[in-house]
Amino acid sequence: MLTTPERIAFVLLVLVCGGLAFTGFRNIIRIVRRGAPADRSDNLVARFVRAIVDVGLQRTVFKARPVVSLFHGFIFFGFSFYLLVNINDILEAFVEGWSTIGGGPIASAFNLFSDLFSVLVLIGMVMLLLRRFVQKPKSLNFNPSVKLHAKVTAGGVRFDSLIVGVFILLHVGSRWLGTALHLAEKGHGDTWLPTASLASIPFRGLSAGALETGIHACWWLAMGLIVLFLPYFPRSKHLHLMVAPVNLALAKKTPRGELAAVANSSQPGAEALTDLPWTQLLDSYACIMCNRCQDACPAHASGTPLSPAALEINKRYYANEHSSTLATGNGSSPKLLDFAITEDAVWSCTSCYACVEVCPVGNEPMMDLIEMRRSLVFEGKMADEVAEVLRNLDEKGNSFGDSARKRARWTKALDFKIPDARKQPVEYLWFVGDFASFDPQSQEVSRAVAGLLHEAGIDFGILYEGERSAGNDIRRVGEEGLFDALAEQNAALLAECEFDKIFTTDPHTFNALKNEYGPYAGAGQYQVVHYSTLLVELLETARLPVKAPLTGRATYHDPCYLGRYNRGFDAPRDVIRASGVELVEMPRNRENSFCCGAGGGRIWMKDHEDVRERPSENRIREALALGEIDYFVVSCPKDLTMYRDAVKTSGNEGKIEVVDIVDLLSRAMREGDQKRMEAAA
Amino acid sequence: MKLVVLLKRLPDLVEDLEVDDSGKALDTEFLKFTLNEFDDYALEEALLLKEATDGELTVIALDGEDVDKMLYTALAKGADKALKIENAGEASGNRGLAGIFAKVVSSLPHDLVLTGVQSAEDIDGQLAPMVAAILDEPCVEVVTQVATADGGVSIHKEYSGGVVAEFEIDTPAVVGIQASRQAPRYAPVSKVRQIQESTTLETVAGSAADTSVFTVVQMTPPETGGGAQMLGNIGELIKVLESKGVI
Repeated sequence: MLTTPERIAFVLLVLVCGGLAFTGFRNIIRIVRRGAPADRSDNLVARFVRAIVDVGLQRTVFKARPVVSLFHGFIFFGFSFYLLVNINDILEAFVEGWSTIGGGPIASAFNLFSDLFSVLVLIGMVMLLLRRFVQKPKSLNFNPSVKLHAKVTAGGVRFDSLIVGVFILLHVGSRWLGTALHLAEKGHGDTWLPTASLASIPFRGLSAGALETGIHACWWLAMGLIVLFLPYFPRSKHLHLMVAPVNLALAKKTPRGELAAVANSSQPGAEALTDLPWTQLLDSYACIMCNRCQDACPAHASGTPLSPAALEINKRYYANEHSSTLATGNGSSPKLLDFAITEDAVWSCTSCYACVEVCPVGNEPMMDLIEMRRSLVFEGKMADEVAEVLRNLDEKGNSFGDSARKRARWTKALDFKIPDARKQPVEYLWFVGDFASFDPQSQEVSRAVAGLLHEAGIDFGILYEGERSAGNDIRRVGEEGLFDALAEQNAALLAECEFDKIFTTDPHTFNALKNEYGPYAGAGQYQVVHYSTLLVELLETARLPVKAPLTGRATYHDPCYLGRYNRGFDAPRDVIRASGVELVEMPRNRENSFCCGAGGGRIWMKDHEDVRERPSENRIREALALGEIDYFVVSCPKDLTMYRDAVKTSGNEGKIEVVDIVDLLSRAMREGDQKRMEAAA
Repeated sequence: MKLVVLLKRLPDLVEDLEVDDSGKALDTEFLKFTLNEFDDYALEEALLLKEATDGELTVIALDGEDVDKMLYTALAKGADKALKIENAGEASGNRGLAGIFAKVVSSLPHDLVLTGVQSAEDIDGQLAPMVAAILDEPCVEVVTQVATADGGVSIHKEYSGGVVAEFEIDTPAVVGIQASRQAPRYAPVSKVRQIQESTTLETVAGSAADTSVFTVVQMTPPETGGGAQMLGNIGELIKVLESKGVI
């Protein structure tokens, strides 16, 4: 029970701090509302139910860092329960005679939970503080060239973390200690409050007055502190506990591989902070600044100035610093390149989606980069080599700058003619893609695929010189208009062809046709499969007989646009196993696969001068660390080139062979291990 | 500063060139046309100059396949006006082309006319000097930079061996651009489309060349040689020369 002056003081504190906090929260809502439109009004109930379940089970948190996540779990569950504890403590302070100690079964259960959760929260918080301030993991640092807000450079995130940590320790610790003092006052322990009972023993000798003063002090440290913390809350990263569930609920639910359309076609993309869709402004408030996205980012790992985490953190620090002007919309909206990120960092992104996939609070930093690229491209700002490729794509329909008429030249070395899908109906229309058509190494794989399908008696055809780049990476570069043009041309040609399904060996092409051609051809118009799926079907129906199963060990690299984006994890693995080899997984596999570095148009750009180790070389190192591995297996034309190059540039030539899934299968159908034996000899 | 850029479209050389049945011209059935690379540099240099001087930039091209897109692209990059010369007939050679261009340019107020120093159809770089001669204006070729100077224009002209000379010329003048200070900018497709929807190209009637013309007698692909052979050492060279009866 509080004294009357204490009660009045508490109510006054609530009014003052609540008022201050209200202004902070109102500013946040106003700032977020200034963002570009994005529709998230569908299935609101289902969205929130799903988000609450995910948060409740800590599903998104446990995607990475299991030990840290466990301690986070302690704090999360404890803090959630503390909502009840706080209500109880207010009742205790204001309602005469209210106490749960020595109450009925519900009160006892409540006591037990509050007692145990208090200890778990304290353990979790101490461990997280030890991690940040004693262990100091490298993952909390940024590459030297990453642009950071001055306050972040000055240790802002550390300071914020310390405040939040100490607040939690004091809030929960005092409440727990207060309970111990209550028990000391009673002179005996309580079965339902085991840890508080233990803690009460040393205090039993204290005078009643001293205990009463202690109880009041603890109440104020627990409850007063919460109220005092309220105005700081909207400025702190601790805000994540409120915004994260909302952010998860309002996350993009359309396919991962479908980029949001341009909101304003006369001024596409985002130059200023408030040009970003409101959902991406909300991202920075949900961000807990854990740097998991940075951990997963191939661009950051290779040493470039891109850190998806720093982007969100800079947005947040800027918004905190200018909250009132941003909220009212007075003055011009600041350019993202002035405070959030550097231009070379925007171009370092491989669009691999790892940052979005791993984010525990549902942020989409990659989408900010795409929006910024859209704006830069619209102003003609890009590397000369990118401009060259885009011009080629515009004029010739392929990124190689080669004549459109030479697109099907790779078929000339085949001993049969692939039907022209423009002239005759086919069951499978093979959309070959630029890389598989023009790159000499990939052409061999394309011929191997053609050969196997021909052998299996599959009715398939190609579009010959009529095909143009499907445009996946053009869209990721930010050239929305060119993507539009290519998609229109391809869709118009496909509309004239008769086919049941489309297949492709190229995951990038696969993604665009499957997820992004809806507006051009009508949603669900095309049934698109990756060739790995088709091969599995043929293996299962025994149309591709394996005569000479291979031996040896293989590891498999999930291409981003097949795996993470479209969840095509199993079919390529089934093909690999069918060839007879033993499949050994790399630590980063399936949705956690590590990008080769070629996506998002990176394949057309020069390495950033800060690059220490290319993502592809990093990946080869990961594969070689598995021990004796014969094959590094890929299922993407770009991967073939990227990893064959990486094996050479990392000085590992001869140690591992980069092969396509279809290479393994053809060998198992024909000469078996002979080739490898010869190579070994 | 009032700037005029002369643009030419050429067959895209990534395609295999074939001679048509008449034996006197390229078979254009499968040919793709593209902007002359050096004209692209001329346009870029003109855009930089326009931005620096708050000038006005007009681009001119002869009508033909894919020309509209080429002109809309120039507008999307920042040109103020695009003129399409219609009904000029088939220009016979660069002399004929220079005549058509000069006639249109003479009717435009201009300080500087820029065009590519050469093209696949004009390897010896005659277009700029011929336009200048017809207009009776000074001309500088192989230009790598154009800037404004007191009352006139300062121009960097490149000589062999990396030697660069700086000229000051009185305007109006004609320059043949070898390279621009920066790579030609990219015009995003959506911007080109927007311009296409909101702008109509201006057209002027061209008049066929009133000068002597030449006629093509025959056009043939270049003869292919026997290829080269890499020799390992001087001994092999002596053997080859002996076998050919040279020594």
